[in-house]
Amino acid sequence: MKSLHRLLTAVGTASAVLATAGFAFADPIPETTIWGLPRDASAEGHRVDWLIKTTNGFVILLFVVMCVWMALAVVKHNKDHKADYDHGDSKHHIAIAMGVSAVIFFVVDGNLWFNSTIDVNSTFWNHQAVEKDPNAVRIEINAHQWAWDARYAGPDGKFNTKDDVVTLNDVRVPVGSPVLLQLAATDVIHSFYLPNFRIKQDAAPGMVNRMWFKAKDTGEFDIGCTQHCGVHHYKMKAKLTVLEPSAYKAWLEEMSAQKAQAYDEKDRGANWGWEWKQPHDNIDSRGGAAVSEADHDHGDKVAAQNRGAQ
Amino acid sequence: MSDRVMTKADIEAAEHLQHAHVEPKDFISRYIFSIDHKYIGKQFLWAGLLFLLFGGLLAMLIRWQWAFPAQPVPVVGKSLFPQSGGAITPPAYNTLFTMHGLIMVFFAITPLMIGAFGNYTIPLLIGARDMAFPKLNMYSFWTFALSQCLVIASFFVELGSAAAGWTTYPPLSTNVGTPGNGQSLVVLALFVTGVASIMGAVNYITTVIRFRAPGMTWFRMPATVWGLWLTSILNLLFVPVLGSAGILLLFDRHFGTQFFVTGAAGGIGDPILFQHLFWIFGHPEVYILILPVWGFLIDFMSFFARKPAYWYKGSVYAMIAVSVLSAVVYGHHMFVSGMSPLLGQAFMLLTLVISVPAEILFLNWLHTMWKGSIRLTVPMLFALGTVFVFGLGGLTGIYLGTISTDLYLHDTMWVVGHFHLTMASAAFLGSFGALYFWFPKMYGRMTNETLGKVHFWFSVIGVTAVFCGQLLAGYNGQQRRLYDPFQYTYIQHLRDLNKYTSYFAFALGLGQLSFVVNFFYSIFAGKKADKNPWDVGTLEWTECESPPVYHNFDKVPIVLRGPHEYNNPDVLAKTGRDWVGQSEQLPGEEHGLDAIAAE
Repeated sequence: MKSLHRLLTAVGTASAVLATAGFAFADPIPETTIWGLPRDASAEGHRVDWLIKTTNGFVILLFVVMCVWMALAVVKHNKDHKADYDHGDSKHHIAIAMGVSAVIFFVVDGNLWFNSTIDVNSTFWNHQAVEKDPNAVRIEINAHQWAWDARYAGPDGKFNTKDDVVTLNDVRVPVGSPVLLQLAATDVIHSFYLPNFRIKQDAAPGMVNRMWFKAKDTGEFDIGCTQHCGVHHYKMKAKLTVLEPSAYKAWLEEMSAQKAQAYDEKDRGANWGWEWKQPHDNIDSRGGAAVSEADHDHGDKVAAQNRGAQ
Repeated sequence: MSDRVMTKADIEAAEHLQHAHVEPKDFISRYIFSIDHKYIGKQFLWAGLLFLLFGGLLAMLIRWQWAFPAQPVPVVGKSLFPQSGGAITPPAYNTLFTMHGLIMVFFAITPLMIGAFGNYTIPLLIGARDMAFPKLNMYSFWTFALSQCLVIASFFVELGSAAAGWTTYPPLSTNVGTPGNGQSLVVLALFVTGVASIMGAVNYITTVIRFRAPGMTWFRMPATVWGLWLTSILNLLFVPVLGSAGILLLFDRHFGTQFFVTGAAGGIGDPILFQHLFWIFGHPEVYILILPVWGFLIDFMSFFARKPAYWYKGSVYAMIAVSVLSAVVYGHHMFVSGMSPLLGQAFMLLTLVISVPAEILFLNWLHTMWKGSIRLTVPMLFALGTVFVFGLGGLTGIYLGTISTDLYLHDTMWVVGHFHLTMASAAFLGSFGALYFWFPKMYGRMTNETLGKVHFWFSVIGVTAVFCGQLLAGYNGQQRRLYDPFQYTYIQHLRDLNKYTSYFAFALGLGQLSFVVNFFYSIFAGKKADKNPWDVGTLEWTECESPPVYHNFDKVPIVLRGPHEYNNPDVLAKTGRDWVGQSEQLPGEEHGLDAIAAE
């Protein structure tokens, strides 16, 4: 009996420690350890991190309770124990089972649902609010096997014009400003993933998708592809550089000057941009990937060229 | 549900409906094109185990690649990948993970759990002499065998087998991304295996509705039958959706249609439409693969804790609730596809609601064990292991059903770890538990208990370590399906994690040898099994020999009670046993036959 008591105490202590550990991982752990999320460089990433860590606490607690329950049953109620004859279908039993399930549901799932609903509506999918922000930086992303093209509007503020800045696997943004991305794809579905910013969004041919983020730290971060997109999916990597606003401005101006010189109207393949989609616009741009409705004919020509080239 | 006394008409109707087939004497109709549900079950068992081995070996190669990217595979590398000096190439790797997924889901778990145990157990457990449509059952197996042949053939065509991921998303799965005929053969194989599943489903559903023995009311059915029956309903409803998606995809690939094709390659199709079709099927599919296991667990917990199943009706209602909900949650697979935010939030709420019936099931399993008299037999160990891994898998799923946490975890290794704990680990541990449980009935011999326990510990520790390793990699942000994950800076530090996860995977793979040895040894030289080695009360153990005769029951049994009557004080007093057969007439008990005799 004594050993059982000791076992109970040990298991109880261990579960308490584990459960609180889930809540205690409050600070991002540097990427030298495998026991944490990667560094959070986003102004809004803490919402995701908090929800994940809070849920860790609940999940560990529930899992430990389940394991201890099973272990005790196996040890205590072994073949020497006389089994109860109990169908567990009395009103009392059913009320307890329903009650426990309801409590777990409202606390654990309720917490997830409540916070996620707030986070999604106020932040992650609230593109309308960001569109109104005068500091917002707008970038068009065209994904294709196996690279990311990025397009900045340039000084005229209009996309798909002569002064656009177009980069390959190199996205630069200013720290502290919201960055709006519109994503399309040329060939297959890709997914734009910023692990240090806790977000991702698919880029699919035939449609323009949206995402946004705001960097809180300067530095360089990985951009990954999370949708299987063919042989070199694993190499579809780009770099996100978060710069001080002045450095960003200088870079953009320099790039824009260079691009204006290099612009070639006839290079259809390079002029893949589209007119920026407003929040109320239909995001469906079928009829040519990454091509706006105005350029519908152009899209068909590209498609015809591509078909002819095959 | 009524406990009404049987009438003569009931019994005559049952005997008439379930005429006994004459056992065929010729080899072909007995052993090849058999219409006997028990033999077809065994055919599915062998076909499933063979492809389980196949899919498992593919997994070993994937794990090798993640531990030692692009290094030559020892022993088999030179013959499998001769052009690259034995190293796995990126295209080969894409085929490996694509075919590992498809083979395991459609050609290993499905035949094992639904084909083998569905066929073998349903008629025996409900007191039927065979399936409602024995010939359809035979066609179902041979259609399935054809689909396996198509899968094997796909490896031998130019450009190799499918490589677009098990989800087969277009445009990658159209000629734009995977031009080889291997991809077409595999999509065709999915269609054909779907036809086999539908034939099986029609059969199981009809058999359970029409062929229950007199007195076998819905809630006297073992939970195993409930699980398999609900699975069959989901199969019947949702496999056709996958079939339609597959046919449209084949049209796009070969007949110039553009249902899913758009982008620079031309076309005005919609690739997202395929995702809807795939997941309308795909989410019910994960419950298709787990409902039978839930049924096994409810029964095994009761059988081996020697206690009635706790709130049996609650468990059954929970399984029904999950089956219904499974149809309306699929959108959580598409949170980052560009889905309408309103729709996304509806899917999030519906997904989280599934927690409620799942909690009821867990509580009932745990309560059934509590205050029992637990026998740690090999099937019970596997059942306990299944609850353990399914608990882990279920709890790690709620992060993916929630939009904001899914934005980070979507398509990372977290997803891979989560669904391998649920639909892979729980499904396989559950199926192995079922195999150890019904093996004596199937082959008339006992399996070796020590080897069974070795197999259990290798399996449960193996799957836990491997898939928790994957969860951890995903928590760190590692994407799934990367040929070489260490291209990325932010997961450089996961090299050791991936390596150790692979070591556990290799141990898990090697540990399965204990099963192979046990299986073959026991079939030929195992200890002869008694009629009822587990002392349980369901019909296959109390009314049938081990193995049963061709027509199962000389007389269709008359069922008097539920499947979970253990340590019933009345039975103890009358018989001295802690169990009682479902059709066993206790002294002083009436089942209506006396009344009939008097007529």
